[in-house]
Amino acid sequence: MSFAKQLNILDYALQGLWRRRLKTGGIVVIFSAVIFLAASFQFTIKALNNLVDQDLRATPEIVIQKMSAGRQESIPLNYIKKLKGIWGIRRVVPRIWGYYFDATTKANYTVIGLNYSKMPMGGLLDKALIKGSHLPGPGEALIGTGVKEVLRLPDKGAMLSLFRPDYSLKALKVSGVFMPSTDILTTDTILMNLPDSRDLFAIKPGLVTDLCVYVANPREVTTIARKIAARLPDTRVVPKSQIKETYREVFGWRGGFASICLLTAIAAFIIFAWDKASGMNPDEKREVAILKVIGWQTADILSLRFYEGFIVSSLSFLLGCTLAYAHVAFMGAGLFRPILTGWSVIQPRIMLRPALEFSDILLIFSLVVPPYMAATIVPAWRSAIIPPDAAVN
Amino acid sequence: MPLIELKDVRKVYNRNLPNEVVALRNINIEIAAGAMVCLQGASGSGKSTLLSIIGCIFPPTSGRAAIAGRPLSRLPDRFMTIHRRQNIGFIFQQFNILPDLTVLENVGLPLMPLGVPPAERREKAMSLLEMLEMGHRADFPARQISGGQLQRAAIARALINDPPIILADEPTAHLDRELSLGFMKIMADLRQAGKTIILASHDHLITEHPAVERIIGIEDGRIHAA
Repeated sequence: MSFAKQLNILDYALQGLWRRRLKTGGIVVIFSAVIFLAASFQFTIKALNNLVDQDLRATPEIVIQKMSAGRQESIPLNYIKKLKGIWGIRRVVPRIWGYYFDATTKANYTVIGLNYSKMPMGGLLDKALIKGSHLPGPGEALIGTGVKEVLRLPDKGAMLSLFRPDYSLKALKVSGVFMPSTDILTTDTILMNLPDSRDLFAIKPGLVTDLCVYVANPREVTTIARKIAARLPDTRVVPKSQIKETYREVFGWRGGFASICLLTAIAAFIIFAWDKASGMNPDEKREVAILKVIGWQTADILSLRFYEGFIVSSLSFLLGCTLAYAHVAFMGAGLFRPILTGWSVIQPRIMLRPALEFSDILLIFSLVVPPYMAATIVPAWRSAIIPPDAAVN
Repeated sequence: MPLIELKDVRKVYNRNLPNEVVALRNINIEIAAGAMVCLQGASGSGKSTLLSIIGCIFPPTSGRAAIAGRPLSRLPDRFMTIHRRQNIGFIFQQFNILPDLTVLENVGLPLMPLGVPPAERREKAMSLLEMLEMGHRADFPARQISGGQLQRAAIARALINDPPIILADEPTAHLDRELSLGFMKIMADLRQAGKTIILASHDHLITEHPAVERIIGIEDGRIHAA
């Protein structure tokens, strides 16, 4: 009996919303837009973290950098010998990692010099290159899509001219381009072999910027890192988990800042909803009075208003979340990418795959639906207690 | 035992405020089941207030009002609504039909909070509309039908719960003579079917109608002829 009654009231609520479709549609559109913004941020941050996790798979488990007076400096190659005897280290590969500022384009490029043949998973690099590209030999370089676009270079065969610290030119032939799917990590990258990068940055022989440590068992990374730190006290030992955490914090900080702006928007909408719900027009007041005089109770009118609020907020929630998913999955979160990723003039062109998790959906739901319901409950009560004699007079 | 019994009923609006209005003073009425009564009086005389008390819309300020055997004075709002739903059918001066709903939906509205399923609601409403020769307008939006048809829709809605008491407040105020006569015929038929009818009006067509067996005159909140 009671269930049938609730179904009838729900039916009447749906009819009422349809009758007032212009007003309902207006609220749904604005509310959906707010939810779309909040959900897009949440989905984008989650997708970026997933992408970083995926792209960092081939990177070393531990990176060692030499520190002096709290600043990083070049590390001698003979430090590799000091690591001998630490159980679990699979291989140590020297690397030069630096930044190159191009004054013409005002872009910062990330320059990486590697000896690929010594990397345990060097072969995986091939899979990150577009068709026809090959790992750079002496005098060659691989570039990210961002570098290629900024410098307006063809996929391969072009010459890349970079300045050494003494302003002499170093020319490199472009051997290929990284795939756009790796843009989050490679868009601003110029990859070359170790001697070429040492030449470009004028780093003395026997020195590199960091040492990449590959371990046999990933579960032992923390222990091995601790042992390395003990053996090389003048170094900073950075495990991969810390790099991941850095990315998470960057996205989290940027996302958090944006979230404050969005919460303000949600709060503004809730105030708007309150205002709309409070300002019943005479026809709506008369409708309530008529319903009460023909036998509807105050609780029935409250149920009616509850269903209306729930339908509006749930519909907006579904619409906003669906649009947000599409925005992240099919448009690469185009609206927020400049805020959440990249720096300088090179922005990674990323293909994001949003991972829907129940906790994210619940978070967005609890941020928008209950506040909306709470904002409309008092106006609903005020509407429900309209005396039935308002219909008589 | 009378179906409607009012004893020393008094109704004051805006009590203890500067704009206090005494709408009814010491009203004593008894109406038997199956009667057809007219409350006659000028505008502002208090007949709509009296109708509202009989219709369980609000209780009197003081005095005793017992409708269909139940005293109203201390009845909580919730039970007053249930009592109204079970015993009273209202027909209003301005019909109070929701213009955006169809005629059929309007007639079925009182059944919704009772949990009556849509098919049964439709069937009941349709049979009443056909009885009132309104079946062909059932699916019309209420805003598209004439005043006379609106009133018949209002009558159908008042009857849908099969209440023993029908109240009508100035029911012919917006109708021409022919439609008013048609309305009174329906009321007379309902009385024949055992309903108790109470009409509030100053229309001579109602007060002089042969089916009206008793006229209660009201002036300035007091009964002056019973």
